[in-house]
Amino acid sequence: MSKDSIDLIESKLSQMLTESTRMYDIAMNCLLSDTNIDAVRDDLYATDKEINKLHKAVRREMIIHSAVHSRNLDVPLLLSFMTMSKDIERIGDYCKNLFEIAETGNTFAKGEHADEFQTLKSDVGKMIIYLQSCLSLDDESKTQDLITLGQATTKSLDKKITALLNKTVETQYPVATTLFYRYQKRIVSHIINASTAIIMPTDKIDYLDE
Amino acid sequence: MKLKTIKNITFAVSFLYLFLIAIKLLETGIKTLGEEYTDQLFESVSNPFAGLLVGILATVLVQSSSVTTSTIVGLVGSGVLSLEYAIPIVMGANIGTTVTNTLVSFGHVRREQEFKRAFAASTMHDFFNLLVVIILFPIDVYTNIITRMAEYGTEMFIASGFSATNPNSPIKNAIKWGANKILDVFNSIPFLSDLNENSYRVYAVVLIVLAIILIFTCLKNVVSNMKSIMLNQIEFGLDKALAKGGGLFAILIGILITISVQSSSITTSILVPIVGSGILSVENAFPITLGANIGTTVTAVLASFAVDNIAGLTIALHHVLFNVLGVLIVYPFKAVRNIPVNLAKSLSAATAKRRYVALLYVLIVFVTIPLLGVVIFN
Repeated sequence: MSKDSIDLIESKLSQMLTESTRMYDIAMNCLLSDTNIDAVRDDLYATDKEINKLHKAVRREMIIHSAVHSRNLDVPLLLSFMTMSKDIERIGDYCKNLFEIAETGNTFAKGEHADEFQTLKSDVGKMIIYLQSCLSLDDESKTQDLITLGQATTKSLDKKITALLNKTVETQYPVATTLFYRYQKRIVSHIINASTAIIMPTDKIDYLDE
Repeated sequence: MKLKTIKNITFAVSFLYLFLIAIKLLETGIKTLGEEYTDQLFESVSNPFAGLLVGILATVLVQSSSVTTSTIVGLVGSGVLSLEYAIPIVMGANIGTTVTNTLVSFGHVRREQEFKRAFAASTMHDFFNLLVVIILFPIDVYTNIITRMAEYGTEMFIASGFSATNPNSPIKNAIKWGANKILDVFNSIPFLSDLNENSYRVYAVVLIVLAIILIFTCLKNVVSNMKSIMLNQIEFGLDKALAKGGGLFAILIGILITISVQSSSITTSILVPIVGSGILSVENAFPITLGANIGTTVTAVLASFAVDNIAGLTIALHHVLFNVLGVLIVYPFKAVRNIPVNLAKSLSAATAKRRYVALLYVLIVFVTIPLLGVVIFN
């Protein structure tokens, strides 16, 4: 299989992750600091469009690659790229959802959970960057570490959501906070799914429990 | 450079050399057969329409216009097939070669919209070649204008001192040397040596059959090795053509890809799934196909370097001119350019609903009509 075109696809996936990190930072800064939402809105949506453009470019590149290399095609690799690009694109979508929470006037800049939210921001942001390095290094043990970390994070987020739904935790914006946790969980889940596409057999991608 | 690339280049160059030797062997075999026999043999293509249809049939059979046109160059070069008879066969080869990518489009038959696009991408090549033949075939038959241009081109080549047209050029000498070596091996086999002495016509037929098998095998190997070497460049070229969205650049990409792999079918067959998936429109794929039509003519020019008779070069140049003129007539004018594209789209719309129509189309256009035509015109 041609190394160049595969490299090109990987580099586009990596660019998608760079843009996702950027979107995540913009959305989280709007929620966790005094960032002027109107000033960053265009930037956020332009970044989302850029991710979508890269997503389409990855698909196009895969079709051209398949057409040219029809006889020696690494189908599992292309299928993993397909699912990975979809997961990364979804991270951008959930960043938009986080931004929409901020747009409705909810802010987590102050309050009792502010430090916890900052830590979460830092952890999830690092996970996106970590996924980028797993993709370029194709390192099984590093990717497995990321999956383990992601699973622990989603479990913890699940507990927080359950606590909010059961009203065992008090917060100023219960609905916004529940959505906030939910979107964070979805972002982490997509990071896990994209990670499984790097190391797992095609039929088991996205199915960690099995 | 990777070992695999070095291996591919070595094989491609070796098979290209063997291909030129095969053309020389064909020329030798035909000459050995004798004029009285060969005249009878080619009497069936004395009617230009029969020649055209024979060209279609032969190319459909071998799935390569390069094999047909190179064989024709060998036959013209040996002096047994006149330019007049050869020209319609080469035009037919242009039409016949389009069956390959049409068959490729059948791989998309399960999904209606995808098949519709893929079938249109493949049949626009058919319609383009049919349109060009409809326009240029009668003009050339009655005025000989393209033939005269090709003859003028041959004179220019000779006047320029281009070494391959010189009977004592290093290229021609190397080909002769290789052909003689093969003939020596051939004649060292007692059975064939006996045939050569006692029944030279059977010997000639064996030589011709061997040469045609060699032409087919060598071209197949040149194409597969060149494709392996050029895969990344093909992808790069298609990426660029996709970004530019068609036009003259796409024609150039089509020419370059086809010259590099020595097969228009490779180029046009790669386009079929790309158009089928919807990432390249039929309109934007059209100029790449036209480029492929021009690029494929290089094989016949290469083959002409192996033959002694300059008529071999003339028929090869006729092939180049015919395909270049076809693009010049069709592509610059939107109304004309749209004819093959729209016809292909209309046919694909009909076949998407009733997919057996696609199969009927292939059987009628590429098998039934040529077969019936050959019978009728003879």
